[in-house]
Amino acid sequence: MDELPYKTILCDVLIIGAGGAGCRAAIEASKHNLDVIMISKELVGKAHTAMAEGGYNVSLGNVDPEDDVDTHFKDTIVGGNYLNNQELVQILVENASERIFDLEEFGAVFDRTPEGKIAQRTFGKQSWRRTAYASDRTGSEIMVTLTEAIRKTSVRVFDEVFATRLVLNDGKISAVTAVDLKYGDYILFRPKAVVMATGGAGRIYKVTSNAQLDVGDGYGMAYEAGAELIDMEMIQFHPTGMCAPKSAVGRLVTEAVRGEGGILLNNKGERFMNKYYPAVMELAGRDQVARSIMTEVLEGRGSPNGGAYLSIAHIPHQIIEFRLESMIEQFEDAGVDIRNEPMEVSPTAHHFMGGIKIDTNAQSTIPGVFAAGECTGGVHGGNRLGGNALADTQVFGALSGENAAKYAKTNERPGVNRDEVQKEFAHLEAMLTRKEGISPSDARDELTTLMWEKVQIFRNEKDLAYAVKELRRIEKEVVPNIKVDVKEKRFNPGWHQAMEFEHMVKTARMVAEAALMRKGSRGAHYRVDADPNDKGYYNIIIRKGKDGEMELRKDDVVVTKVELP
Amino acid sequence: MTKTIKTRVERYNPDKDDAPYLQDFDVEYEPGMTVLDVLLFIQDRHDSSLAFRWECRGGQCGSCAVRVNGTARIACRTKVNPDEELLLQPLEKMPIIKDLVVDMAQVTFRIRRIRPYVARDKPPQRPEIIHSEEIEKLREIRKCIECSACLSNCPIVRETWAYPGPMIIRQIARLELDPRDVEDRVAMAINEAVYSCTTCKMCEDICPKSIPIPGLAVELLRAKAVEAGYQLSEGQQAFLDQVNKTGRSVPEKDTGLLHSLETEEFVVENPRGRVGFFTGCLIDYRMQSTGRALIEVLNRNGVDVIVPKEQWCCASPAFRTGDLTTAHAATERVTEIFEAAMEKYGFDTVVVACAGCGKTLTEDHRPYIEETRGTPPRFKVYDLSKYMIDVIGKENLVMPKGEINLRVTYHEPCHLGRGQGVYGEPIELLKMIPGIEYVEDPMKNRCCGAGGGVRAGNRELSQKIALTKKEYVLATGADMVTTECPFCTIQLKDMMNDTGMETRYIPDLLAESYRKGDEN
Repeated sequence: MDELPYKTILCDVLIIGAGGAGCRAAIEASKHNLDVIMISKELVGKAHTAMAEGGYNVSLGNVDPEDDVDTHFKDTIVGGNYLNNQELVQILVENASERIFDLEEFGAVFDRTPEGKIAQRTFGKQSWRRTAYASDRTGSEIMVTLTEAIRKTSVRVFDEVFATRLVLNDGKISAVTAVDLKYGDYILFRPKAVVMATGGAGRIYKVTSNAQLDVGDGYGMAYEAGAELIDMEMIQFHPTGMCAPKSAVGRLVTEAVRGEGGILLNNKGERFMNKYYPAVMELAGRDQVARSIMTEVLEGRGSPNGGAYLSIAHIPHQIIEFRLESMIEQFEDAGVDIRNEPMEVSPTAHHFMGGIKIDTNAQSTIPGVFAAGECTGGVHGGNRLGGNALADTQVFGALSGENAAKYAKTNERPGVNRDEVQKEFAHLEAMLTRKEGISPSDARDELTTLMWEKVQIFRNEKDLAYAVKELRRIEKEVVPNIKVDVKEKRFNPGWHQAMEFEHMVKTARMVAEAALMRKGSRGAHYRVDADPNDKGYYNIIIRKGKDGEMELRKDDVVVTKVELP
Repeated sequence: MTKTIKTRVERYNPDKDDAPYLQDFDVEYEPGMTVLDVLLFIQDRHDSSLAFRWECRGGQCGSCAVRVNGTARIACRTKVNPDEELLLQPLEKMPIIKDLVVDMAQVTFRIRRIRPYVARDKPPQRPEIIHSEEIEKLREIRKCIECSACLSNCPIVRETWAYPGPMIIRQIARLELDPRDVEDRVAMAINEAVYSCTTCKMCEDICPKSIPIPGLAVELLRAKAVEAGYQLSEGQQAFLDQVNKTGRSVPEKDTGLLHSLETEEFVVENPRGRVGFFTGCLIDYRMQSTGRALIEVLNRNGVDVIVPKEQWCCASPAFRTGDLTTAHAATERVTEIFEAAMEKYGFDTVVVACAGCGKTLTEDHRPYIEETRGTPPRFKVYDLSKYMIDVIGKENLVMPKGEINLRVTYHEPCHLGRGQGVYGEPIELLKMIPGIEYVEDPMKNRCCGAGGGVRAGNRELSQKIALTKKEYVLATGADMVTTECPFCTIQLKDMMNDTGMETRYIPDLLAESYRKGDEN
């Protein structure tokens, strides 16, 4: 077969992903006088980080002076059901303040206290008011700021370029294959170090708050390259997503609504959180609130569209208008005035606590491959606190960028196996040339429905076993037969979906296999048939075995300060 | 049966097509459907290779801007009307990569050119103290999600990339408003042709975050420029000098309306209402007959018209170009004059027939007076057509009887439509006239190029915008173009001069029909 043409681009550090973590990593790496490239599947600035609404956790103590780093640490561990890697949590809580000041230095505009400091508000499961914010568009504020900051650096930005595979040489990173989505050309990046900042994979679920790009590319690529992944069964279903109209299903309704005093009601008008978590009510953990809502729905007390009512109508209009402006806009589109009427909400797949396993240098188990943000695992344990994700992107983004730069300075560029590169491009090309096969959109529907029905909030052995079986079948039978209808390379969404599908299947399989392995309930992983003997204080590690099969093992939790119960 | 929407999508793959073409798709309608849903439906059911961008579907990422029925919108927040055909096209001005996906390189280049980040001369203290008041305006202008939709329909960008467009001017203002930024953003704004904007407010209308870019960015930067000592162009300064000297922005040629009226009171028997008439400079000094027509039309509909002899320019040219000293002095003077007249003659409503004056009285004078003395002006301001349709009431209007047998189209003045929210009323008045066949211009709300000090300050650019406008007007095939703004009228008259198409002011046409009706 003829070789497929591709273009080679050399650099020192390659950042894959341009959300909060990727941009922050690029900015940091560029401080080291290196050639830094950031590739982005979407246009720069359009990443899912912009969708984060509520805020950024940092124990500045601007509103509640009693707050401190240790309390933030403990809240995060307790909230994470003790599954967090405590070394990583320490890094998160210690650096959150410097990183938010970085953002301000770059030009971010957070809401202020009367003294002119960064204002902080209540979020679920936190001892003090700790969440810094810019109205309810904090993620957007951060994304806009980082976009501005990136434009100040020498970072070379390649947008709408899609990475497909990490190519190793002797166990170290040597190249990354990619496709220019605009024109369909193949590209081979030859960095010395890579930062994965590819975000989550909410899109493997039918109902999700995530942008269309969150399909688990990083999980799939890291797994395929042999990296270890951790806690993949831990998926946060945000308790409050929109349930109507159809086109808005799953869209996030920020936790800030509850933080500002919003209450949850069932169809009888009862404030049902009273029954489940009377001490903290609506501000229980996200997993707890999600299960409470679903219990109400399953027991027949749900709203017409299968959710609960979230009301903030008792709060003064001006507070809602100042602090929840996007929510007003979002529900206006659905014909609901949240100042006077309740919102209808139900859980939506929101955040992956699990992901690429990293050490305290943000390096994965593959030398030269660093990772940051939602695509990593370990920081948030079994359940992530609202507001910790944005902090995560900045703290670990900067850390990964710095360490990738150091790695690039001290390591030579290994050679690349051209056969492996050609094989990957031929594989992508085959999706276009195949005459018979399965359409990516059908395949995607099947996958997201399977995950939503069988690997969801309430899990059981039978469903999980079924899902695992199905996913293995899909991986074997569907993935190799994906066929793009129109054989064009220039900006062809059909082809983009086909390429992503493989990453989605691998991600989904890791989630389901790990969920099947964990027999007890812990954190976001809730088994209705929980084995009472499985206390669950361990992490599940996944990697691709030497034989090409998925290997799972249980590992001890990394504990430094807070003992396991 | 499910309702289907016929959707025409512009398709283009430069690898194989010579030119863009339209392709029709049937889309099953669902309540609440957005343009993004329509595109996804087509991609899912008809053609998986249909290229368009989208990510968040929540109006937060700004990826999905396309032109919907000619106007740029973000797809995920634009509802479709099940009873209308839908036309979807890529953003204007940018090269097409494929279908609805355009190359943003020119935009990115222009953004980078303005050094779009907070420039500091030293690292800040940590923590940095910033008070809420300092960032209040910043907050509003910072909501921009860089969707680039506003660039697409900007009449200035369309003519010249020398103007980087609303989104980027907004970013300059965002930095100017940031107390931390040390760069001279005013000089930058001048370099980036901030005086090219006609303040047509198309960008504000398009903006998914409703950022008032002309007011909050363009006029703010211009005001800062004037404050910093930048000279206005000769043409613009001449207007302002005239205002300060005489209270009129133009010199009197033929005897002005106010000077020729024999009385201040035009009263009728058993009036249904009483209004003050704010003439504005051009009706007073250049379109006296239009002024008389307005009085006549209102009188015929049973409304007393009071025309204070002493009037003063609303100072729209000063507001638009940034001379706030002139602007604010005029604001106080106009308020005084009309508040005194309303006391003396007992009216609480002021009627204007000039889009620019109306916009200035409502959008600029009102907040300024409220801010300086705590209460807004005591009178209400109405455009003539709005007053007739809404206050007198369509059912109470005296129908004009004289036939005018013409095919007539309408140019919507920017400061009437987007400036004052008056859209359909002038057209309803036109349609009352027997014989008139109204011809809709799909581009009727496109700027004529006269406003914002551009005609006075940059005639060449103004002409270019006018020539584009001319094409749209000619495409209607009408015999006459009508409007409700003296400034637009002058511009339209100039540009239609060689075409044989007549330009008329709506009150004139109404008065003509009334008079003709009397003769029969």
